[in-house]
Amino acid sequence: MIEFINVSKTFPEGNHAVENINLKIEDGEFVFIVGPSGAGKSTMLKLIMREETPSEGKVIVNGRDLTKMRRSQVPYLRRTMGIVFQDFRLIDKMTVFENVAFAMRVTGTKQSVIKKRVPYVLKLVGLERMGTRHPSELSGGEQQRVSLARALANEPSLIIADEPTGNVDPKRSYEIMNLLKEVNKMGTTVLVVTHEHNLVTKFNGRVIKMKRGKIVKDTAEEYYKERNKKERESEDRFAGFDEISENKTETTYSDNYDEIHERVNRLIKDIENEN
Amino acid sequence: MYFLKEGFKNMAHNRMMTLASIGVLIAGMLLTGTAALFSMNVKLMVEEVGDSNVTTVYLDESITAEADAMAIGDELSKLGNVLTVDFYSRDDAIEEYREELGEEIFANMQGENNPLPHAFKVTFNDLSKYDETVQQIMAIEGVDSVGNTRDVANKLTSLNETITNLSIWIVIALAVISLFIISNTIRMSMFSRRFEISIMKSVGATNHFVRVPFIIEGMMIGLISGIIASGAMYFIYDILVSAINSIFVFNTIPFMSVFVYVAVGFIVAGMAIGVIGGAISIRKHLKKEGKEVLNW
Repeated sequence: MIEFINVSKTFPEGNHAVENINLKIEDGEFVFIVGPSGAGKSTMLKLIMREETPSEGKVIVNGRDLTKMRRSQVPYLRRTMGIVFQDFRLIDKMTVFENVAFAMRVTGTKQSVIKKRVPYVLKLVGLERMGTRHPSELSGGEQQRVSLARALANEPSLIIADEPTGNVDPKRSYEIMNLLKEVNKMGTTVLVVTHEHNLVTKFNGRVIKMKRGKIVKDTAEEYYKERNKKERESEDRFAGFDEISENKTETTYSDNYDEIHERVNRLIKDIENEN
Repeated sequence: MYFLKEGFKNMAHNRMMTLASIGVLIAGMLLTGTAALFSMNVKLMVEEVGDSNVTTVYLDESITAEADAMAIGDELSKLGNVLTVDFYSRDDAIEEYREELGEEIFANMQGENNPLPHAFKVTFNDLSKYDETVQQIMAIEGVDSVGNTRDVANKLTSLNETITNLSIWIVIALAVISLFIISNTIRMSMFSRRFEISIMKSVGATNHFVRVPFIIEGMMIGLISGIIASGAMYFIYDILVSAINSIFVFNTIPFMSVFVYVAVGFIVAGMAIGVIGGAISIRKHLKKEGKEVLNW
């Protein structure tokens, strides 16, 4: 859970990046943060990652007050988050597999775990055959999927996507968003910063609109209503999926990933056909 | 294993700066080593000279008859602090120069033409009373001067001190330069890997994890420099010894007897400078966290 209590961030030059923000994001939400550039969207993400600390107020993530967190604890906080950048941030001299493995290696994950987990997340994003390729050999959409796979590598409870579709063509944008939706269905909180209006309208999510450092609109209530309704509607379409994702902590990757993967691909195809 | 691999990767990636750092470190180590070994040899010489404890008492040139000289010798023996008195005639003295002078000149410097005075080689009981005894000797009529190896020892000691003082400054200056170059080398390799570092930081790598490969890079630069410098020191020492021997013929310290100390000293000092240099630059870089590390 993420909570902002009276949070303001003023930069040394005197401009207010965010001003008196109050916000609560529950576990498992799918949240869009929208607004023009300079609205304070990125500052909010930085505050959540504790790349910045607020000038005033409190930021609480998973029950921990980030303003009181010691610097040495920050890496452990970040391990609970996965970040997807607009510019992918992939290391080109590494293969796709290595790029994903890198995120696990630098957090001290055992090689045996990496060997199992990387193919799993690559399959999840539909890139199981691309492991030996280098990022430059892939399309923008594929690169962003690698970036998502990397963000998922350390099993985060929160995915932060900063303009994930900014460098991807519209069709591929839907794929990325669908993947994020699927990740959300598996119980991961997803935060998407975007300025692409059509994505926000097409994909059901809570929308937080920002302007000049302030929240000017928050659709939390409608989001919950809509989500409950959609969940009921899509029960047939995703029959069996929820059970799998609910059980994910008890099952191993190999037990259910084939099934999830199949469903994700089917879903992507469905939506592509609809378009 | 991961850290070692990354450390080597950094070095390979950053070849020119790595080589420059190794070069500067080697130069520093060789200068330090040369100064230290020179100083050790001079100390050995001073000891040898001091041990010989022989003072030469030169008589007036006017005293040409050996009998007159022997009378002065008797007076010398009577002095309390004098242990032995050996006569060293002017004929013996000129004989020592025979080779240098050449036979013709030597032949012309016999008897009346010998420019050298008679002398006595004297040893003392108690060297602490040296100055006092010398005064007593000078008071004896017919004694011209007292020359002694102590002067040589004193001169060598002061030379040694000068060299030591000078080398301390040179070593400090070189250590600072090496530190600067190594920390710049590591800063460059960090700069070239800043993208990777930013990803590492964003997925939750600890500062320690980010730091270690660069510290290893510094350590490896120090280690390689230490090994090369130890080998090079062997040859330089040879040159140093022959240079010393061309001035004075003395026993010198055999290199192999100090090799272990030289090698261990070089390697430890090199690695220490490397680690400190690396730590300085990575500290600076990681302090930027939140500003440029994630570069968002």
